Amino acid sequence: MNAKRTGKHRFPEWIRRGWASGHDFSFTKELLDDLDLHTVCQSARCPNLGECWRRRTATFMILGNTCSRNCRFCSVPSGKSDGATDADEPMRVARAVAKMGLRHAVVTSVTRDDLPDGGAGHFAETLRAIRRVTPETTLEVLVPDFAGDRQAIAAVLDASPEVFGHNIETVERLYPLLRGKQHPYELGLRVLRIASDLARSSAAPAIVKSALMVGHGETPDEVRRTLADLVEAGCEAVAIGQYLRPSGKQREVVEFVHPERFAEYERAAYDLGLKFAVAGPFVRSSYRSEELLQTEFARERVEALRHAATAR
Amino acid sequence: MRVEVELPSMGEDAEDLANVAYWLVEVGDEVSEGDDLVELTTDKAAFNLPSPASGTVVELEVEEGDDVSVGDVLCVLEV
Repeated sequence: MNAKRTGKHRFPEWIRRGWASGHDFSFTKELLDDLDLHTVCQSARCPNLGECWRRRTATFMILGNTCSRNCRFCSVPSGKSDGATDADEPMRVARAVAKMGLRHAVVTSVTRDDLPDGGAGHFAETLRAIRRVTPETTLEVLVPDFAGDRQAIAAVLDASPEVFGHNIETVERLYPLLRGKQHPYELGLRVLRIASDLARSSAAPAIVKSALMVGHGETPDEVRRTLADLVEAGCEAVAIGQYLRPSGKQREVVEFVHPERFAEYERAAYDLGLKFAVAGPFVRSSYRSEELLQTEFARERVEALRHAATAR
Repeated sequence: MRVEVELPSMGEDAEDLANVAYWLVEVGDEVSEGDDLVELTTDKAAFNLPSPASGTVVELEVEEGDDVSVGDVLCVLEV
């Protein structure tokens, strides 16, 4: 096969993905459309969408498609919501999980500062709905910061997800630039600290997880410091991926981090005490997230959690 | 039989737009189903579009540097 190459390459050779298509992809797309469900896959224009949907897996995004924050790396629409939630949504997510035959389901959301509990109750209902329909499915949540509210975090943990995730996204220095003054770095660590405190005091602790994107101009030292901060906050698992610009409206990529540096970050994470770390250009916190649960350390936790969940 | 290879949808986004970065095949090339035909770029990343069928490339409908939308015919195969 001949290859004709002309013009400048906009992306390094390790930034390549297969375009979304095929029977399984269509199945997933139609199902999500029929059940009127949002996915972060679409809203954030994830480059893994094709691969994941072909594998019949997706990350559901609940509480609407409008976020009350405005981070410069994210293409989810920003704006005010009206304080309402879709009461039927938890059941529709549960139905989708069942129809997709998911062994592991990831649920995330937009930030809803307009809701008194930040949407924590709705999260918990969604998890419980999935458990009722497919009790065997392991659950992972990727939550907003709930303004650091302990009760909200407790409400989500009370629904016994196997994995509790809150993404730190970037290093401290870049927070004002990428997330605005209303959204401090410390808040993310606080969420993880509260979650791991609550988890530890429960008989069946959820695994606490976070993730960050590199390529915004952070230094390796800053990344290492962030990993250390995550460990100190009780984080056990981390995912590190390359920031890719979702559309022209978001910030440009400052650097395409070389796969070798990703490997260094992964090693550093383990050295600093994280129990599970995965780093690579296309790694995302939800990407192949079921693999975390297949590790030694996670399996015992999951056992305990399943036991506690069915005992209720 | 002529098969038109269209740019498939990436998801819900109505403004799914991509740029033809470079052709990985030329007219006359034999391809198998799944072989990469063309590399497209969006703001986000570079994507390779696989062939939906096995056959011969008979026409390239767009050129490197062209912007394409979902549904645009990129090339034609004789299968």
